[in-house]
Amino acid sequence: MNRRNSKLARGLVDAFLRLWHMRNLLLLVIPYFLLLGWLFVGGSRMDTRPAAVYEVPRQPAWEKPDAEHWFGTTGNGADLFELSRLAMANSVAAAVVSVSGGIALALLVAMLFVFDPGTRRFALLQAARRTGFLLPSMVVLVILTGGGGGSFGVVIFGFVLVIAFHLCPVLADWFQEGEKGFDVMAGYILGLSRREIVRNRVLPGVLHRLIGVFAVCVPVVVLAEMTLSFLGLTGDRLNCGAMIASGQGLLIEAPWMSIYPGVMATVVVLVLTLLGWGVSASLRTRLSASSLKHHGNRSEPFA
Amino acid sequence: MLRIVLQRLLVSVLRFATAALALLVLTEFAFGVLGGSDRHVWEATSYGPVPPELSPRPVSWAGLFEERVRRSLPVLLLCVPAIFLIGYSWGVLGARLRRFHGARVLAAPFALLACVPGFWFVVLVAIHSYFHWGRPGFANDLVVERGPDLLTWWHAAIVALPALVAGAGWQIRAVSDMLEKEMTGGYVRGLFLVGYSEEDIFYRNAFRRALPQLFAVSSGTLSSVAGSLVCVEYAFRYPGIGSLLIESAKGGSYGGIFLSALALAALISGGVLLSEIAAALIRPEGADG
Repeated sequence: MNRRNSKLARGLVDAFLRLWHMRNLLLLVIPYFLLLGWLFVGGSRMDTRPAAVYEVPRQPAWEKPDAEHWFGTTGNGADLFELSRLAMANSVAAAVVSVSGGIALALLVAMLFVFDPGTRRFALLQAARRTGFLLPSMVVLVILTGGGGGSFGVVIFGFVLVIAFHLCPVLADWFQEGEKGFDVMAGYILGLSRREIVRNRVLPGVLHRLIGVFAVCVPVVVLAEMTLSFLGLTGDRLNCGAMIASGQGLLIEAPWMSIYPGVMATVVVLVLTLLGWGVSASLRTRLSASSLKHHGNRSEPFA
Repeated sequence: MLRIVLQRLLVSVLRFATAALALLVLTEFAFGVLGGSDRHVWEATSYGPVPPELSPRPVSWAGLFEERVRRSLPVLLLCVPAIFLIGYSWGVLGARLRRFHGARVLAAPFALLACVPGFWFVVLVAIHSYFHWGRPGFANDLVVERGPDLLTWWHAAIVALPALVAGAGWQIRAVSDMLEKEMTGGYVRGLFLVGYSEEDIFYRNAFRRALPQLFAVSSGTLSSVAGSLVCVEYAFRYPGIGSLLIESAKGGSYGGIFLSALALAALISGGVLLSEIAAALIRPEGADG
């Protein structure tokens, strides 16, 4: 009697086992995307302007927070909770596009150097990092958005530039770390070309870590984008930063108009940050586990 | 020693010059190319006198710069030493207690507070001061006539707090990461097998070897403090170097942009220079760069 499982059954078992090994990562990634999805549900009023929302009519129709309107309403009677959610969706959209663009650009730039056979191939990137520290990212972003008019494109461009600039040397470090493995040395001894070794052994490890970078960077960029908006440098787009800035003038009459958008911003950034750290740590653990499988136990003796 | 100091000074000057050049290019690109301005950074007429939106009373650029630096100095004096004190001590402790995830536990309060937008903190302070003192925001119109000027330091402390929180969290994690990485070195296993105690290995070997790198971490911290200063000062309507940059960028004043950005760059450059000299002096003989 033939007891061998069919190809399909084996494939399903393999897929299940893979998912089971990734359970910690999935437990973090799923809520991350659920939160992003919740922010973008019902985004039909993405073109709402904060100036119009915070305009106070002669007879303001605002209401304090209650069971119906959790965050209260604006002078025009608009629900502040929905507006805050839309504002956060705007910020998160900008952050996701910027971080993706920044990571792609950084990888492209790092790849220009990584195939160079010289031992000091990343020296230029490291020197650029040391000089780049002198101009903080926020200074660069303020000048770019202040001079460029603060349109969506300029904001994205600024973030892509800043993220790529700071990520390039980090990627260079990771490539260098990846090249120290015994398998890479064995590859050289066996006569593999540098191109083959980088492409097949080093690059997959670096790409794997970029998922963690993305998860960690998104909340940071959300916070920075809101800051620029609060400073009035991102034009008239709905954003929690702009809402808080506009609400400051109504602090005595309607304090909820500046407090609750801040609550929403804090909660979303906090959740994204915690999940991002979790994803990054989980990926690191998986990478070190697979590295141990390849190289034997090299961890410190009493960690 | 003199050779090392002069060497580092030269590198520092070159870096500062590069940053200044990058600033010129960035400003021209932002205002000229993206903003479509017809003024250029190389034209002397683009600078002119101090515009009234930067200072209501007539003042020279040097006077404005001095005024703003004098206001920012207390904030930096409160913020930077506190970050280094908390960051280094808790970072070392966190790495020592790495078995219990010490660094994560110690950095967690700062990291979580850093998720609170610094500009929102302004709103909370304003509401608190309204209900306690009947005035939202700072008591800028009050002048201390007798005794120590505690009011200035109180204002500076409020402005410094958000920058301190973000900077300290970053510093703790950077220091502990550096030390934890050092503790994975091959020599640590050797010392452990020879019979050294964990404490000896950590403080007398790993910590000493990591000292140059620990000094180097400070450049990132200073950069993050300078970035925070830009936002927090403007949010609190605190007339320092950071708010000068925002006001200048909004008003398109090249003079204000260069003054404020170069002042921040000089601050970071000075910090980096000191840390590099210290790192070079304590580096063991024969160790490579």
